[in-house]
Amino acid sequence: MRDGINLARRGIPAVALVTEEFLPQSVFVAQASGMPDIPRIILPHPIAGTGKEAMRKVAESYVPAMLTALGRPA
Amino acid sequence: MTATDTPDQATRPDDGWLAAADEHEAVELLHELGCTDGLPVIVPTPERVARMVLASGLDGDLMLAALGPALGAATVEKVAVAAVMAGCLPDHMPLVLAAIQAVADPTFDLTEMQATTHCTAPLLIVNGPLAPVLGVHSGFGALGPGFRANASIGRALRLAMINIGGGRAGSSDMSLLGHPGKFTYCLAESESASPWEPFHVSRGFAAEQTVVTVIGAEAPHSVIAIADRDADPGGDRILNALAACLAAVSTNNAALGGGMAAVILNPDHAATLAQAGLSRADVQAALRQRAANPRSALVSLAGGTARKGQPDDLVHCFASPDDICVLVAGGGGLYSMVMPSWCAGPHRNRAVSVAVDTDQACVIPGLPGA
Repeated sequence: MRDGINLARRGIPAVALVTEEFLPQSVFVAQASGMPDIPRIILPHPIAGTGKEAMRKVAESYVPAMLTALGRPA
Repeated sequence: MTATDTPDQATRPDDGWLAAADEHEAVELLHELGCTDGLPVIVPTPERVARMVLASGLDGDLMLAALGPALGAATVEKVAVAAVMAGCLPDHMPLVLAAIQAVADPTFDLTEMQATTHCTAPLLIVNGPLAPVLGVHSGFGALGPGFRANASIGRALRLAMINIGGGRAGSSDMSLLGHPGKFTYCLAESESASPWEPFHVSRGFAAEQTVVTVIGAEAPHSVIAIADRDADPGGDRILNALAACLAAVSTNNAALGGGMAAVILNPDHAATLAQAGLSRADVQAALRQRAANPRSALVSLAGGTARKGQPDDLVHCFASPDDICVLVAGGGGLYSMVMPSWCAGPHRNRAVSVAVDTDQACVIPGLPGA
């Protein structure tokens, strides 16, 4: 979340990727940093350690949403 | 859950003060609002907080630091609230204030440390003349129950980290399990039982200063070592036992490196090492040299994330001997303690020492503990 916030502060389009388990933390950090509406995409949890194939599937299904969040016309 | 569901923002009245019919209800309300550590607290009434502020000799609205991850303003008054809730005596305030300043040092990486999934807590080490005067215990059971100053000063820091820093389990403090030192984790060095200069002197302070050092630390790991001046005149048994615990391959120190650790020698172990001719710096250097693993052992656990090199390379857990904080405390006997650390954050969670400002504190006649 903080990486996304720091990039956004520099004027660079950013979207934070947050797994379900860390959604409450993302809300807290966004609020505390004064950017409550910073774009984020909620991914399933866990991602780490689930294997390349599973990660690739997650990546493929979320890339369009990431591009949209970063400003590409839908 | 939405951001406004956090209890302190949703239900706190505009003037900042809560209302309750009596002390019992007030404690229950504080529990309900998530403002406690789960144990009962002393209710921070305006009078109690004002007296704590007065005892500090500082203005209540003096801002000491912003505490992450909430970046809440740690004013003297807010810290006084935490100190009252924790059960501190007014005399403890200068130590609590120093602890707050220490964790707020940028190199301590408090924001990231509060948020990490690792289990880490600030271990408070008190040195100098005020430690025994204030009853900060350094002997038998110093990290256990029964010592008011240790219990309440460490707890005050934790309550400040919860209520000012916003560290709450599962929503901002993401430690997967936490550890019991997150209730309180505070002791003094047993300077009188140490064969060496006091720990704070080794970190550049004068012996007559009272100093609070914070180090991000896991729970203590016991190290058994049977001192034998005939069979082991050089103290190698003790050094090897400590190094083995420091280098346990599944700790962050072994896997990630670059961090710090605390080593608390019991007075017998310290005396054995000193009689072998070792200074504190010698002990630190020996531990730095011996706390290492063959890279193959790390690769077998961590695969591609292990540090680069050849299978037989010795991977040291610490970059420098100074990264191993060696102090003396506890009763004398077979056991010393090692606290590994988290080793992450932008500054790798450096230990920070802050001198206690005793010039500001004032005695209030008639105040308990004054």
